[in-house]
Amino acid sequence: MHHWQRSKRKSAGEGPWAWLAAGSVATSLALLALLLGLLAVRGLGHFWPADVALVTLDDGRQLAGRAVKEAPLPGREARERLYRDGNRDVDGDIWEWVALERIQDIAHPEDLVVLERRRWGEFIGRLVAIETASGERFSGDAAWPALKERLAVVEDGRRQIAQLREETIQPLVRRVEAGQASAEDRAALASAQSQVNARQAALPDDTLVLESVGGRSLRQPLTDVVRALQPNAMGPVDKLATWGQGVWRFLSEGPRAANTAGGVWPAIFGTVLMVVLMSIFVMPFGVLAAVYLNEVAHQGRLIRWVRIGVRNLAGVPSIVYGVFGLGVFVYGIGGHLDDWFFASRLPSPTFGTGGLLWASLTLALLTLPVVIVATEEGLARIPESQREGALALGATRTEMLWRVVLPMAMPAMLTGVILAVARAAGEVAPLMLVGVAKMAPQVPLDGEFPFLHLDRKFMHLGYHIFDAAFRSGDVQAAMPLIYATALLLVVVILVLNLTAIFLRHYLRGRHGTLPH
Amino acid sequence: MPHSSSTPPLRRSVRQTRDRLATALITAGGIGVIVAVMAIGIFLAVEVLPLFWSSADTPRIDLQALWLPQPYTGLEAPAHRWQPALPEGGGEPRFGMLPLVWGTLEAAAWSLVIAVPLALGAAAHSALFMSPRLRARLRPTLELMEAMPGVVIGFVAGLVLAPWLDNHLALGAVLLILLPPGVLLAGGLWSRLGGRLHRRLPMGWAAVWLMPWLLVIWGLAVWLAPLLEAWWFGGSLRTWLEVHLGLAYANRNAIIVGMAMGFAVMPSIYALAEDALSGVPGNLVEGAEALGATRWQTLWKVVLPAAGPGVLSAVMIGAGRAVGETMIVLMASGNTALMTANPLDGLRSMAASIAIELPEAAPGGTHYRLLLLAALLLFAFTFCVNTLAEVVRARLRRRYRRMEGLA
Repeated sequence: MHHWQRSKRKSAGEGPWAWLAAGSVATSLALLALLLGLLAVRGLGHFWPADVALVTLDDGRQLAGRAVKEAPLPGREARERLYRDGNRDVDGDIWEWVALERIQDIAHPEDLVVLERRRWGEFIGRLVAIETASGERFSGDAAWPALKERLAVVEDGRRQIAQLREETIQPLVRRVEAGQASAEDRAALASAQSQVNARQAALPDDTLVLESVGGRSLRQPLTDVVRALQPNAMGPVDKLATWGQGVWRFLSEGPRAANTAGGVWPAIFGTVLMVVLMSIFVMPFGVLAAVYLNEVAHQGRLIRWVRIGVRNLAGVPSIVYGVFGLGVFVYGIGGHLDDWFFASRLPSPTFGTGGLLWASLTLALLTLPVVIVATEEGLARIPESQREGALALGATRTEMLWRVVLPMAMPAMLTGVILAVARAAGEVAPLMLVGVAKMAPQVPLDGEFPFLHLDRKFMHLGYHIFDAAFRSGDVQAAMPLIYATALLLVVVILVLNLTAIFLRHYLRGRHGTLPH
Repeated sequence: MPHSSSTPPLRRSVRQTRDRLATALITAGGIGVIVAVMAIGIFLAVEVLPLFWSSADTPRIDLQALWLPQPYTGLEAPAHRWQPALPEGGGEPRFGMLPLVWGTLEAAAWSLVIAVPLALGAAAHSALFMSPRLRARLRPTLELMEAMPGVVIGFVAGLVLAPWLDNHLALGAVLLILLPPGVLLAGGLWSRLGGRLHRRLPMGWAAVWLMPWLLVIWGLAVWLAPLLEAWWFGGSLRTWLEVHLGLAYANRNAIIVGMAMGFAVMPSIYALAEDALSGVPGNLVEGAEALGATRWQTLWKVVLPAAGPGVLSAVMIGAGRAVGETMIVLMASGNTALMTANPLDGLRSMAASIAIELPEAAPGGTHYRLLLLAALLLFAFTFCVNTLAEVVRARLRRRYRRMEGLA
């Protein structure tokens, strides 16, 4: 009997529950890996210039596009495939479902071109010819090199115009609107505007003669084309270069087509600026409160309760902070500021509506508990002997705090601020109430006095995801871009958190464990 | 000490004044910050109070209108309705808040159903079985999982998982059912194949080498799902659910919210529960093992009774997070204010309602104040739950210290 029991236990090992526990770790890790992998593959894959397929159907019709997904046909043992074939202006939409059984042939001819355009999105088809304003016509094999060459000229001109607009015209226009413009300003504005007009007129006024694979032809002005590719003719190195260019454009350009195309530069800028402002608010106040709680206050029952309360505020939902920000900062303080200082602009509000200042203040309040808790932990780790030593040498309490305690607690404070930044960068719900915008054409930082416009709305990466996913017309078209934005946000937050983890590790190594 | 009196008295008094000034400044600043942070609750309460107080500018609203079914024009029976904007075809706005409360609790409950087993299993495994090297890596990894922004999880849940599940409902269900027995099968095989395999694939690294096994389970589910669907559910699980159980399937539903939010909440429950489990004094564990208990018996009979309150507080904090999470519910739930127990139907939570409706609500109006009431409820709930959890944890720490002292 005894022997039997022992052998049974041996074969059963730790029993079923231990394995379920191990399985739950494995499942969690697998889910995390799945999520990160999905974001990485879809987010980065979007910029890869994939080959364009020329699909011939059984009735002879042709279409050119990239396969997006497959799904079973309802009610039958067959599948259909979704192609993204662009050409919104020719076909009416950019999608085409094709039943697999109807496909006769799939080819990848090298002469298919993909044009990214400012209006109407992508064009996929063939380039027939390029006609210049002076009557020249390049067709056949000469057309593609000519297109490349002339597109470079157009791009160059466009960049110059954009620069002129941003640096000269916009500040002048705003001054005119505000009624502060002098006669010189008006003259400068007029001359700049005529310069822009001249540059615009100097852009090569070419027309592309295009033909979709379905046989419809189209005349496309070159000035509307952003990028031209022949993906099927490109080698892997070319594709890699194009991919890098695509990633760079995504990071450095503004959004187009109701946030479903283009880049996210204003959102990156808005997020970073908001987070920097928030850190400026949260760092001194958080450290001040932590120093008070840990070093100055009498350590009684009340302080213990206050400490628990502060810790708990880290668990209060972020949307509640958003409500507070809206009610107190925007409607309360902002409304009064408008009444006192900006009465001339009422009823259109200046500070009485969501903006950069209120958003960063709200997030500072939201992340204050994080900073306080992290700093307090750091302060508690500093051995009492250090303080006593400083006091014994004749330092006052302030000197002791300033020269001994705070420098030692530096890594803890940094950890707190980094954690706060990581939390704030991913927080969207409160921002929806206090000042994020779907599309903010002007970044809140420019060369015009007072340089930093705290009252302006701003764009945010997280809100950009929400907006593109739920408020744009064509989610399917926006998907690749949402993946890329989500990946960017996750990467930023992961890097911040890794830094915080590293710092905390360093801190533990230096001061040992928390003395009880 | 000849130097101690060499500091001129004037300089010393300047230093002391400066010290006093700085202390006063720190005190004032510290108290100011703490008061500012605590002001949130006060602000919400002050703004909500006029709802229940008759005053000139806002119409008073009685509690019954919020929590009891109301007879509305156009409806046969009294019902709960949240239609704060004027409904189509005229009529008064409908302010029954119960659907929102229900939606909030339903979403939180489903996310706990997903998160609690995963988190507690993971905590138990990493506190007792896992190799220390892996454990040192697992914690930061799960911390990264905790830091994943809600908007990203919400996007993946609402726009990737929901359509996928829409097409592969049977596969998802089979996967969920197959997962526990599949893992147990791996355990059984492992115990049978002793010796060399145990050295190659030690129990301490099970979390890693089980991951390829999960792929095998996935493959099995992909193979099995269509067969099962054809045999038992007449070709389509969805139709079967609708016809036989009367469960309508909404594209974005409570289960999807639960999965997404469970994923988001799991790491914080794990971290706190693991702290509680691994904080149990070592001599208790060693004593139990010396008496011949397996590690799981040790966990069940010794560690868990000692760490129980800590584990409970971990779950409570998880519940607090789940109740207040906004973006995930907003993006994955469909935001329909329903009151059904059907987990395959949509829901609308208080937090999501606030995020959508507050920017449009006129400040000072009934709708505005009701949304602030929702915020106050969220605040009070999470604050109480977290305080309770914190008190429990403080008690637990004292208990551990006492145990260590006794032994």
